[in-house]
Amino acid sequence: MTHTLGSASPLALAAALLVAGAILALVLPRPARPVAAILTQLMATVIVLGAIAPVLTTGAVLEAAMRWSFPVQRVVLRVDPLSAFFLSWSLPMTLIGTVYGTSYLEPSVRKGRNAGPHFALLNLTALAFVVVYSVQNALAFLLGWEIAAVAAWLLVIWDYTNQKVRFAGFNYLVSTHVGLFVLVAAFMLLYAKTGSMEFDSFRAILVQRGGTRAAAFLLLGASFALKAAFFPFHTWLPRAHAAAPAHVSALMSGVIHKAGLFAFLRFTLLLGRPEEWMGWGVLGFGAVSAFFGVLYTAVQRDLKRLLGYSSTENVGIAAIGFGVGYLGLAWDQPALAALGFGGGLLHVFNHALFKCLLFYAAGAVYRQAHTVDLERLGGVLRRMPRTGVLFLIGALSIAALPPLNGFVSEFAIYRALFSGLAPSPTTAIGLVCVAAALAFAGAVSCLSIVRAFGIAFLGSPRDPSVQPAGEVPGAMWGPMALHAAACLAIGTLPTLGLRLIRTATAQFDARAVGAISIALGPVQSATATFSLVVLLGGAIGWWSGRHARRHVTWGCGYTAGNPRMQYTASSFSAQFAAIFEGFLPHRRRGRLPTEIFPAESSHLSTHHYDAVEQRMFEVLGQGEEMISNASQRIPEQPRFAFAAGLITLAILVGLILRGSP
Amino acid sequence: MSILLHGALILVLCPLVVGLLGRTKALWTGRRGPPLLQLVFDLHRLLRKRAVFSDVTTFVFRLSPYLVLASALTAVAVVPVLGVRAPAAFPLDFVWFAYVAGLGRMALMLGALDTGSSFEGMGASREATFGALLEPALFAVMGAMCLKTGVSSFGSALLLEARGGGGIVWGASIVALFIGVQVESARMPVDDPTTHLELTMVHEVMILDHSGPELAALQAAAALKLTVALGLVATLLNPLVGRAPTSVVVSANVAMTGLLAVFLGTVESLVARLKLRVVPQYIVVAFAAASAALLATTLRGSAP
Repeated sequence: MTHTLGSASPLALAAALLVAGAILALVLPRPARPVAAILTQLMATVIVLGAIAPVLTTGAVLEAAMRWSFPVQRVVLRVDPLSAFFLSWSLPMTLIGTVYGTSYLEPSVRKGRNAGPHFALLNLTALAFVVVYSVQNALAFLLGWEIAAVAAWLLVIWDYTNQKVRFAGFNYLVSTHVGLFVLVAAFMLLYAKTGSMEFDSFRAILVQRGGTRAAAFLLLGASFALKAAFFPFHTWLPRAHAAAPAHVSALMSGVIHKAGLFAFLRFTLLLGRPEEWMGWGVLGFGAVSAFFGVLYTAVQRDLKRLLGYSSTENVGIAAIGFGVGYLGLAWDQPALAALGFGGGLLHVFNHALFKCLLFYAAGAVYRQAHTVDLERLGGVLRRMPRTGVLFLIGALSIAALPPLNGFVSEFAIYRALFSGLAPSPTTAIGLVCVAAALAFAGAVSCLSIVRAFGIAFLGSPRDPSVQPAGEVPGAMWGPMALHAAACLAIGTLPTLGLRLIRTATAQFDARAVGAISIALGPVQSATATFSLVVLLGGAIGWWSGRHARRHVTWGCGYTAGNPRMQYTASSFSAQFAAIFEGFLPHRRRGRLPTEIFPAESSHLSTHHYDAVEQRMFEVLGQGEEMISNASQRIPEQPRFAFAAGLITLAILVGLILRGSP
Repeated sequence: MSILLHGALILVLCPLVVGLLGRTKALWTGRRGPPLLQLVFDLHRLLRKRAVFSDVTTFVFRLSPYLVLASALTAVAVVPVLGVRAPAAFPLDFVWFAYVAGLGRMALMLGALDTGSSFEGMGASREATFGALLEPALFAVMGAMCLKTGVSSFGSALLLEARGGGGIVWGASIVALFIGVQVESARMPVDDPTTHLELTMVHEVMILDHSGPELAALQAAAALKLTVALGLVATLLNPLVGRAPTSVVVSANVAMTGLLAVFLGTVESLVARLKLRVVPQYIVVAFAAASAALLATTLRGSAP
């Protein structure tokens, strides 16, 4: 490899450091392995942040070219503001996650487990970010993409002796490679048209309207949607997040899968001016993802699964922002583009902040109580006050409530949806409908997180055997505190977050990049006032409660209440789930009492399963049978024959219309 | 209008609205009813008492009533309750309002769950479900009003009548918002605030364990929420908005709010509470009305 490194040489240095750290984490004496990983990551992070700071503030681009052997030949490294934005938080968050991991894995390490490979893989994940976010060559991009995917798989199956964990791991591995095939197909298509693997030469074909552009857009979109776990490509995600160690779930959900959104934006920049249908596609896809993702969060009993589904919801919200941005570009409305892309980018960052925080807190509960089953938990806040308060901050952020950061980015997206900049009344109504869907997602995520926090952390333990063994060590709550502080900072001072995304937003449309700070200006002062009133209210509450008398909870006249009688997670969401029964199928097992004095004992269990996954496995398992059954039923059932006739007719009409220009 | 005057007027209006409502219900049942300022007496009595906290509770229970009150107090500043521009109006203030109110709702629900009481969990679950169903209706109504008037804030309510009074958008918005009032402030036919059976309550059951000053804060917040919501509907109904001097508009709006309280009390006296299973369908009516308002914005001659 010959180097002709330009201004991007710090990136190569960081990459080398990360590789060295990975090797050291495999060969050093065991206690030094995590230290090697953390130190090299710290150095790499400092180097990269130092190099990209000017890119974020001024928009200047770092660039370098390297020669490499066949088939890549020439790799261009380029850090533009978009790359710089993603790098600026991905590397520090990976570092924080690694620190958390040292403490989270400590019980297994104490039992003799070798954690070296795990830390080496975390280093490789950081390396994958450096590669994916900077290279401009499709083959080198695929290399980084694959490093991230395989490293994530190996990180997920840390607890590989458990069959469920292995299944979740393979499920993830297969899904991510299906996405890879689609991505490769897209690159092959573009290579066939341009004869080059450089992103810059892709641009020439992507800016022209036509079939290739549409096909490439759909293929790339599908692949990146799978990576970022959009509905209905999300099925691997809740399993993987529930199975992985907490810091791996956090990094996957908050950071690694954001690569899918990054790649989507990278190709958006190559598209030039997108067509309107693309915007509506992204917008609709995002809204559907937010809607179904949030519905599923409402019924999960595994806290980490719940957080996993909420990732699907939040990438959906970010995609709503990007979709509006697309429409802004298509309609030539710079303010709309700036609000949409800016709000979406900010939401990506905010989601990483609060989702990592929540996963870390869930991991802390798991480590101390050995379960994250909401039906068994309760009263954790009194045993683990720090974790509880930090989880509460994350909960307020994820429900997008002021004065926390989730609200800031959603507000920017609402500003775009209600801007009234749509060209016709019908399109304006479309945007308002998406806003209503976003409002629904917000309210349901409030329900879900109240349920998660209220059931797990408040009340008393529903299963007396689940008693957390006290607070977690500083290496675990420290990372949470950092994330919580960032959530509060951006929530109360939205301009801080805007500083990160300003130059990246300007890449999409530089004309109205100030629109987002204009939109958020009044919110900042309103939120500041609100925070003061809340603080004042809290202080009065604290002061007024100091002389309160202690007594038992009022049982409405019943005096033999016990913790098993508390409302459970399932009962909390039962009414909501019943309304959306069509989308939230569940299995009931059990035997109910039949007579007035039942002779036999009775029991009941309900279990919500993922409708998409169920259907997917059904088709994979019995697909042939289903098709042959259907074809046999055509002659028997008139409605099937009618449908088949309609389809044939449609095809015929299509052929005739095509044939007569 | 200055923020102090706006706030002071609403604070005065608050006990009157609650008193009128109570009086109306009493009259319908053939009683004389409590004095109009009963709320003030209640709060005064509660503030002198000492609170009782359950052993199970944490700081969440201790702080939640004051957070509910704080969110209600702050949210007031952006709603044009008096028929004139709200003192702190800004673009998209209704989104801010909805989420600030959401913080209050979350505090209320967490306070309820903190006691570990199954009754209070039940109330919290209902509140969360109804809230989730109502939220899209509110946003669709506001979206319709914004599209109709070209102003994207609560202020659009002030212009709606001038730009299409009597139209479908106007009528449907009022229907949707009125149902919203009934849900949000826990009135019949969604919730019966005076029932004796905890199993069937929504709002009252969540505050079962609160007492003394904490209960006072919650009652004040509930009264504030009711007044603000009725004031907003009154602004939409008020024919003088934008056509008369400020003092006349404000007095008309205050009178209108009082009339609405009487109307609400009448509805409450004549209608039975819906089955809890049917309540979601009632809320869907609000959403349907909101959608009708939204669709009606495309009708000819309605462009801003």
